[in-house]
Amino acid sequence: MIDYFSIALTHGLILLACWRLLMRDDLDVEGAQNRPDPRPWLQQQAQQEQQEHGPDA
Amino acid sequence: MRDLVLLAFIAAIVAMGFKRPFLWVLLYIYVDIVTPQKVGYGIITSISLSMLCFVAAFAGYILLDSKQGSRITLRQGLIVALLGWCAITTHFLADFPEEAASKWEWVWKSLVFAAFLPLTLRTRLRLEAAALIMVLSAASIIISAGIKTVLSGGGYGTLVSLVQDNSGLYEGSTLSTVAIAIIPLTVWVARHGTIFTERKLAMVFAAALVFAALLVPVGTQTRTGLICIAALGVLVLRSVKYRFVYAGLAGLALVVALPFLPASYTERMSTITEYQADESASTRVAVWAWTIDYVKANPLGGGFDSFLGNSFSYQTRTTVEEGNTERVVYQEVTDEGRAFHSAYFEVLGEQGFIGFAIWLALHGLGLWQMQRIRKRYADSEEADGKRWYALATALQNGHMVYLVGAAFVGVGYQPFMFMLLGLQIAFYSLMKREWAGEQVQNRPWLREQPVQGAPA
Repeated sequence: MIDYFSIALTHGLILLACWRLLMRDDLDVEGAQNRPDPRPWLQQQAQQEQQEHGPDA
Repeated sequence: MRDLVLLAFIAAIVAMGFKRPFLWVLLYIYVDIVTPQKVGYGIITSISLSMLCFVAAFAGYILLDSKQGSRITLRQGLIVALLGWCAITTHFLADFPEEAASKWEWVWKSLVFAAFLPLTLRTRLRLEAAALIMVLSAASIIISAGIKTVLSGGGYGTLVSLVQDNSGLYEGSTLSTVAIAIIPLTVWVARHGTIFTERKLAMVFAAALVFAALLVPVGTQTRTGLICIAALGVLVLRSVKYRFVYAGLAGLALVVALPFLPASYTERMSTITEYQADESASTRVAVWAWTIDYVKANPLGGGFDSFLGNSFSYQTRTTVEEGNTERVVYQEVTDEGRAFHSAYFEVLGEQGFIGFAIWLALHGLGLWQMQRIRKRYADSEEADGKRWYALATALQNGHMVYLVGAAFVGVGYQPFMFMLLGLQIAFYSLMKREWAGEQVQNRPWLREQPVQGAPA
C-alpha cells in the first residue's frame, strides 16, 4: 500500500514534469520563446490572442 | 498490476520522446535509479529495460538532437580515462577475473552515462529537468522508506523499500548516503524550479521529502547516514543567515526527536564510539590496513572486487561485567574476503594509484568548480545569479555529503553519484558559456562586430 502510494505520487509528478517539458521550446534551444504549434484550424483563436496580448505572448 | 502501470508509464515517456528526444535521457536516469524491472513482478522483469533506455538515450542524442552548445570538458576526459583504466584492470590485471567482469558490467554504464550526460544538458532547462527527475526518482524509494520507518521503526537490513534487494540504491547504507546527499538539490528544485512553478506546493512536497530522507538513516539504522546528516548540518551553516539561531534550532530538533527514535536505533548509534568491540567496525579498519599493504605490492590495483583476496585475524575487545567488576575480554576473529566498506579504499584497492588519482581529481575538481560559481555569484542581486549560487551550493553540499559517506560505504562508482557529477560538469560548462557571453557584451567597442558562431 505504502509502495503504491509512493510510486503513484512520484511517477505522476515525473509524467507531469515530462508533459510540461514537452511544451517548452527552451528545452532544446536556449532562450527560445514558447510558441504553440501551428494549428491552422485555430487560426482565428490565435489571431485573437495576438490582439489581446501582443505579438510576444 | 504494478507491471502494467510501470510499463504504461515508460511507454508514455517513450512516446513523448519522439517529439523531444531529450526525454529519453531523463527516462534512462529514472530507470537507472528506480530500476523498475526489479520493482515489478512479471513481464517487466524479463526485459532488459536499462539497456534499451541506454541505447534510446544515446540514439536520441546522436541522431535526432541538436549538438549546439555541447562541449567536451576536462572532467569528462577524466571520466573516460577512469573508464579506460578500469577496462585495463578488469581485462588484464584482475585478481578475480570473473567477479571483476560482473562488476564491470554495471560500472562501465555508470561511467559512460556520466561522461555522456553533460553533452545532452546544453540548456538551463535541461539541467533543471535532469535535477528534477533525479530528485523525483530517488523520492520514489525515499518516500516509501520514510513512511515505513514512521510506521514500523525499520531495522538494520530489514527495512524494505519498494524492492527486497541489496544492490544499487536499495542497499541500506547507500540509500542513507544518497538520501541525505540529495536534500540540497531537492530544496533547490522546489525553490528555484521553473518546471513546477507552484512554489508553495513544491516547498511542502520538498519539506516532506526532506523529512522522509532524514528518516532513511533511522529506518535503515546505518551509522553512515547519521554521519552524513551531521556533515550536511555543518555544511548548511555556510549559507544560513542567522547561524546561532540555526544551530540552536537544530539542537532543539535533535532533543525533541530523541524520544521518538526507536531504542534499537539509539543503541546501534551509540556503538559509533565503541568501534573496538564491534566486529563490523574492526574489520573495516583491518581491511583498510590490508588495502594499503596490497597497493604497495600491487601499485596498479587488482581489478574489481580485489578485496576477495584478503584474509586476516584481529582481536575485538569487549568488557564483560561479573558482579561488581568489569573484565576486558579479547577475542580473536578471522575474516576472509571482507568488502572494502569505503569508496576511497575500494577505488585504491581495485584501480591502484593511477585510478585513485583520476578518481580523486574528478571529485576535487568538482568541488573547486562549484566553489568558483559560488564565488562569482556570492553577492549577486539578480534572480539568475541567486539561482546559480544556490545550485552551486546545493551540488557542492550534496557532493561533500557523498564524500563523507563514501568513507564508510563502498560507493566509489555509484551511478547516482556519477550522475550528480554529470550535472556539475554540465552546470560548469553552461556557466562558462554564459561568462564568455558576458565578456562579449561588456566590450562595447566590439559591438559592431558580428558575433556569429559565438555560443548562444
